[in-house]
Amino acid sequence: MTDALRDRGHAAGWFLPATIVLALVSLVLAVFIGVVDIPPSDILATLAGHGSPEARSIIMDIRLPRIVTGILAGIHFAVAGLILQQITRNRLADPSIMGISQGATLAVALFLLLTVYIHDPGSNTLAELPLEWMPAIGMVGGLAAGGVIYALALHRDLGPLRITICGIAVGAVLHAPAISLIAGWGSARIEILLEWLSGSLYARSWKHAVFLLPFTIAGLAALPLLSRPLDLLRFEAPVARSFGLAYRRQFTLALVLSCCLAASAVGVVGPIIFVGLIVPHLARFMARRHHSLVLPLTIALGAIVVTLGDLTGRLLGQAEEIPIGVVTAICGVPVLIFLLRRTP
Amino acid sequence: MAFSCSRLSVAYGSRKALNDFNISLGAGEIRALIGPNGSGKSTALQALAGLIAPTEGMVEIDGKVIGSMSRRDIARHIAFLPQQPAAPDEMTVGQLVRQGRFAHVGLFKSYGPKDEEAIDWALESTGLADFTDRSLKELSGGERQRAWISAALAQEAQILLLDEPTSYLDIGYQIEVLDLVHRLSREKKVGIIMAIHDINQAMSVCDHITVLQQGTLAFDGDPAALAESGLIEQVFRVKGRFVQIAPHAPPHFDVELARWGQA
Repeated sequence: MTDALRDRGHAAGWFLPATIVLALVSLVLAVFIGVVDIPPSDILATLAGHGSPEARSIIMDIRLPRIVTGILAGIHFAVAGLILQQITRNRLADPSIMGISQGATLAVALFLLLTVYIHDPGSNTLAELPLEWMPAIGMVGGLAAGGVIYALALHRDLGPLRITICGIAVGAVLHAPAISLIAGWGSARIEILLEWLSGSLYARSWKHAVFLLPFTIAGLAALPLLSRPLDLLRFEAPVARSFGLAYRRQFTLALVLSCCLAASAVGVVGPIIFVGLIVPHLARFMARRHHSLVLPLTIALGAIVVTLGDLTGRLLGQAEEIPIGVVTAICGVPVLIFLLRRTP
Repeated sequence: MAFSCSRLSVAYGSRKALNDFNISLGAGEIRALIGPNGSGKSTALQALAGLIAPTEGMVEIDGKVIGSMSRRDIARHIAFLPQQPAAPDEMTVGQLVRQGRFAHVGLFKSYGPKDEEAIDWALESTGLADFTDRSLKELSGGERQRAWISAALAQEAQILLLDEPTSYLDIGYQIEVLDLVHRLSREKKVGIIMAIHDINQAMSVCDHITVLQQGTLAFDGDPAALAESGLIEQVFRVKGRFVQIAPHAPPHFDVELARWGQA
């Protein structure tokens, strides 16, 4: 904190307040702009508690819950990516590259197959899916994938390259059955599931946000306790251990936290790819030497990227909206290439 | 402070890297660990630091076996610096040195005045007080090595294990690091074991010299005794002799280069 104040020559100190302002602006934009045009005065009236019934239903039941769910999911993916990049000392680590999202996807696909298809073959909307279980089921799948990666990588040593390659392999193995499950599903539901699979905030209600919120709170509350171990996990194991870190235990805790955050979000919104990869890079790029700013910047940017990405998808696609996962994937690639060009 | 290892053996698979190794270290003592490449110097240091579990034997500090101590507890007694340690990108000298306090600060507490004092002392002893905000990447090799030593000092451990702290540094920086090591042992009574390649540097700054050959202790004693033993020629497969350059200085090993012999 103090090093941020001491710095005079660099703009890093301005990035955090500016990012928070941008987060608020994107929130306001996402509330005010949408496929259905509502007069701003009506929106303000609605927010004050006395708008027209139409505006009420659109703002309170459609836009706001969707935005809040997106913000929470964005924070989950971004923080999960940051933790993964730090503990594996790998700039390319991301929940979707490391197999965690795929584990969650497979678990959710299996779960949906078992519950929806077997019990009620007639239902065909995501809204009717047993969503209260989805973050938990996703988390189980993500943790299982994380466990497999951990076991494979820990077999001899937790080198960053080894764990990443294991993650990619595990992810590929888990992704294939998830896709084939969904492909064998029957045409009525497949469209909706494919949308979920590409990462979508379509038709997310307050229920989704409320189910995600405890995970967000628990995850963010765990971060201050893990912050000093996380600092040391950025070093190679022998160095971290000689500084006094119980490396395996802390690595495991950090990996579990990352898996929980990413996989619970996958359960609710599907794998929104690249958020966990790009946001921590942007945050580090802004923070430069001020490491203490990286985490708050990551949280704020995670919220912004998903909110603006979803708004873009809503506006460009109009009624046939573009899923947020597609937007982040398309926008993410140039940013990734730019960032990689800057790294030695 | 009493630090020792007894019958310490380490095996990587079927290959024995360290065999029945015994040494002890007192407060303020500097001990050099020399030996050819692959003779087990790094393995010995890492086993002494508790970073690799020995297949046999044990390391003891003040009567406690370090295998049964927590990492945090070990770190308050022993600081270890590996060969060419890597720091995360964009880390500053100040941030690196702060990590040295990890073992002293509870997870739920923040840095207290004692910690800040230790950090300031570590930075000052290594001459880095004005470098705190500099990125490690901007530093020269010698400055970077000093920053790492500074982080180890912030640990306030009574034992410092250094794996080739002078390798890859030019002669000026080598002497700088050795001076620092010497000062720490004499002024702060820190016990130091360092792996080092330069025999003459080892002879001039160290109180004791340990020679390792294929994982086994080949010699343990003071520099003068090593000079008399004739072991250096045999262990390193070179021809040379020890010469007395200055009256009170330790003898200097003068190596004979093969080309000169032929001429």
